[in-house]
Amino acid sequence: MAVSARVVDMAITTTDAPAALVRLLHLVSPSLPIGGFTYSQGIEWAVEAGWIGSARDLEAWLGGQLRGAVARLDLPLLTRMQDAVAAGDPAVLGRWTDWLIAARETAELRAEETNRGRALADLLIALDLPGAPAWRAELARSQAAGFAFAAAAWGIPRREAAIGYAWAWLEGLVLAAVKIVPLGQTQGQQILARLGAEIPAEVDRALALDESEIGAASPALAIASSAHESQYTRLFRS
Amino acid sequence: MNANPRQEPIPERPPSIVPGRGERGVGGAETPIVGWPARLELWFARRGAQTVLARQHRHGPLTVQRTFHPEGEVCHLYLLHPPGGVVGGDRLELSVDLDPGAHVLLTAPGATKFYRSAGAQAEQGHRVRVGEGAVLEWLPHESILFPGARLSARTRVELDPGACFIGWETVCLGRPVIGERFALGTADLGLEVWREGRPLLVDRLRVEGSESLDTSSGLRGHPVSATLVASGTSAADLATARAGLAPAEGLLLGLTLVDDLLVARCLATAVEPVQRTFRALWGILRPRLLGRPACPPRIWAT
Repeated sequence: MAVSARVVDMAITTTDAPAALVRLLHLVSPSLPIGGFTYSQGIEWAVEAGWIGSARDLEAWLGGQLRGAVARLDLPLLTRMQDAVAAGDPAVLGRWTDWLIAARETAELRAEETNRGRALADLLIALDLPGAPAWRAELARSQAAGFAFAAAAWGIPRREAAIGYAWAWLEGLVLAAVKIVPLGQTQGQQILARLGAEIPAEVDRALALDESEIGAASPALAIASSAHESQYTRLFRS
Repeated sequence: MNANPRQEPIPERPPSIVPGRGERGVGGAETPIVGWPARLELWFARRGAQTVLARQHRHGPLTVQRTFHPEGEVCHLYLLHPPGGVVGGDRLELSVDLDPGAHVLLTAPGATKFYRSAGAQAEQGHRVRVGEGAVLEWLPHESILFPGARLSARTRVELDPGACFIGWETVCLGRPVIGERFALGTADLGLEVWREGRPLLVDRLRVEGSESLDTSSGLRGHPVSATLVASGTSAADLATARAGLAPAEGLLLGLTLVDDLLVARCLATAVEPVQRTFRALWGILRPRLLGRPACPPRIWAT
């Protein structure tokens, strides 16, 4: 596993915190060409169904997801993925990825995870991230896996990586929802500010979870996302 | 033909460990909770033209009725839990194994009730393994959680190559028919489907206290949540199912296809519309997946 060892070496040598911060900002940047704003994770249908009609509704929806699936499913798996990459173990990474995909509740949510994973894997290769080509098959299955790989390779600490992942998730959906509901830009920014302030505490909770505590279903979101598959007019891919 | 084991009498709950029933209210908070473990293991096998219950192992108050074969080959069987309810500290474990080529339909005469707990958690574990080319239809009634119940439930389905599973699980939080809300209590409900050592679906619904009943992307205030899973399905099955199901009052329904699993999820204000919808869906899928018309268990009519 010579290739994997290089990832670990690089993570160890990149102890320069400002450099890691720059990498993290890059990784969560909305300019990252992985289709961030083309997915709504059921929000497009929830708006049509009248479930989300105001800034308040949107904040309640996203807040529930942040404290639920993001904190209890995505983040604890993300951090384990990052550990697997740092340990140079693609098989373990694959096991966490299997879990994450099996917990994505609908066809569209799984397609989103995989399509963005593929785009991110190719981008990481194009950015000459050491080891990325050898890990591509594993990374291309899941956006979270690619994110975890980049975080490990760039020496971004787990907590900061998880905060960045949650922020990128939140920002992507707020910006999508501002167009769909529609809301004013300022309302969107207010939601980002308020829910963003909750992220560190949710991340700390997520990182402290035991493996037996991982998992949180969102039945209404799953129904919205299922119904979105056959929604008549849709602009978003989930 | 049919190797039905002798039905043994069901033991009474030992008086020393009766922690009190929810509706009567639990006595002092110091009530010792020992719990009543129950374990039932069932093995099914194909014998000639029929599937039979080849072997069973039973410990505690979980049992089955006599098997019967209303449609010939398929073994129909009803699960019984004679105590009529589960309290904190109780543990119900069911393990079902289907040999290659077996075909079993499992259901029950009524809902499983989980009463208010004085502190201890009730545990329910269902593990089913469906052998190569075997078929399991898992069609239980709902679980009713009384306010203050604490339940951890896991259903794990393991599929061998070519195995087929059609099943559903329904949970009813509180008793909506009398306007009772699950204001207190916890539920941690897991449903997993695995094929050849890999997870196809890992679902885990958690309810902790009143506010989790109203989460807008979660239960949205609905007391009833239910999931139906059918393996070996195609996009055409999904389209047919979507076209064939009528919308029902008080019911939110979503159907999706993940790998070859059709997953239908419901949120509802009562159990009845979920039951009607899932039975209709079963009626649509069964001929397509198993080449058989729906054969509703007689007990559903009672």
